[in-house]
Amino acid sequence: MEKPEDKSNPLEVWIAILIALVSFTTALAAWRTTSLGSKAGDLIFQGLLNAVKREAAANEDWRQAYQEAGYARDYLISLDGLIVLENSTDPASQEHAAQLRTYLLPGMELLASPLGTDPSYLTPEGWLNVQKRFDELEAQSPDLSNLDPLASFSLADTYYAEQRWLVVGTILIAVSLFWLGLSQLSHLRLRILILVLGVIVYGIGLVWSLGVEFVFFILRGGVL
Amino acid sequence: MNKSDISNPGRGKTLVLVLTLLNTVLVAAISALQVDATIRANQANRDSQYYTFQATGSLISTGARSDYDLNTFSMLLANTQEALVAGYTALQRQNANDQSGFETLTLEAQIFQARANRVRSLSVLMTDPAYAPASDQVPPNITDYMSDLNSYSLELVQKQNDASDAYHRWNNKSDSYVAVLTVLSVAFFLLGVAQMAQPSLRVLFSLFAIGVISIGILWTLILLIF
Repeated sequence: MEKPEDKSNPLEVWIAILIALVSFTTALAAWRTTSLGSKAGDLIFQGLLNAVKREAAANEDWRQAYQEAGYARDYLISLDGLIVLENSTDPASQEHAAQLRTYLLPGMELLASPLGTDPSYLTPEGWLNVQKRFDELEAQSPDLSNLDPLASFSLADTYYAEQRWLVVGTILIAVSLFWLGLSQLSHLRLRILILVLGVIVYGIGLVWSLGVEFVFFILRGGVL
Repeated sequence: MNKSDISNPGRGKTLVLVLTLLNTVLVAAISALQVDATIRANQANRDSQYYTFQATGSLISTGARSDYDLNTFSMLLANTQEALVAGYTALQRQNANDQSGFETLTLEAQIFQARANRVRSLSVLMTDPAYAPASDQVPPNITDYMSDLNSYSLELVQKQNDASDAYHRWNNKSDSYVAVLTVLSVAFFLLGVAQMAQPSLRVLFSLFAIGVISIGILWTLILLIF
C-alpha cells in the first residue's frame, strides 16, 4: 500500500525540472564566461608575440640603418679628402688620389649605398636621412612591420567587456538556482513566493545574458 | 528543547531567509567585482609587458643613434685637430726653410680640413639649432641632446612602471575579493545550520552569520575605497 507522503507533489516535479533547466543554463553561462576570458587571454598572448616580433624587426632595421649611415659618413668624408688630394698640384699626390679612387673608393661606395650615394638621402640641414632609410627597410618586410598588437589588444578588450557584463547574467542565473532549490525545501505558503522570485531572477539573468551576447556579436561584426 | 521552541518551531526562519537573500546578493555583487578586478589586472599586466617591449626597442634605437651621432662628432674633433696640427707644423717647416715639408703638410691640413667640413655638415650636434654651439669656442649642447634622445624611452619606462603598479593593485584586490567570498561562504554555512537548528540555536547561528556578513561587507568597503 502506498503511503501518502511517498506521492510527489506535481509542483515539486515542476520545480525539479526547472532546477535541471536552470542548472544546465548556469553551466552554459559559466562556460561561456570562462571561454570569453580565455579568448581574451589568447588574443593578448598573440598581441604580445606580435609586439616582440615587430620590435625585433624594428631593432634590426634601426641597427642596419645606422650601420649604413656610418659607412656613408666614412665614404663621404674620404671622398672630400680625396678631392683635395686630386686637386693638388703635386704629381705624386695626384697619382695617389687616382689609385685611391680606383682601388679604395668603389668598395666604400658599395657599402655606402644608398645613403652616401643618393642625394635624396640628405636632409636640407645636410644630415643623412636615417629615418627615411629605416622606413624603407621596414617596408621591405611588411609581414613583420605591419603586425598590429594593438588590434589584438583591442579585440581582447571587447571579449573582456563582454565577460564583465556576462558575469552579471551568470550570477543572476546562479542566484535563481539557489532560490529554486530553496523553494523545493520550503513549505507550501512560502514555496510559491520563493519559486516566483527564482523564476523572475532566472528570466532576468537569461534575457540579460542573451542580450549581452547579441550586442557584442554585433559589435564584433558577427564574430562570437 | 525549551517551551518557546515547542510553541513556535518556525521562530527566526524569516530572519534566516532574509539573511540568506542578503548574503546571496552580496556574493553576486562581490563575484562581479572580483571578475572586474581580475580583468583590470590582466589588462594592466598586458600593458606593462607591451611597454617593456617598446621601451627595450626604444633603448636599442636610441643607442644606435647616439653611437652614430657621437662617433660623427668625435670624428669632427679628430679631423679638426689633425688639420690644426698639420697646418701649425707646416708653418714650422716653412720657418725652417723646408719648402717640401711645408707643401706636404699644407696639403695634409687641407685634406683634414675638407674631411672636418664634411663631418660638420653631417653632425646633428653641430647643425641642429637645438644643440649647435653659438660659436667655435663652446661645445654643442650634449646635455639637451641626451635628454631629448632618452625622453621617449623614459616616458615608456614610466608608463610601464604605472601599468605594473596597476597590475599589482588590481591583482591584490582580486585576491582579496576571493577571500571575502570565502568569508561569505562561511556565512552561507552558518545560515544553513541555522535553518536546520532548533529555534533558540537558530537565532544564535543567525547572529554568528550576521557577524561574518558584517566582516565581509566591511572588508569589501575597504577594498572599494582604497
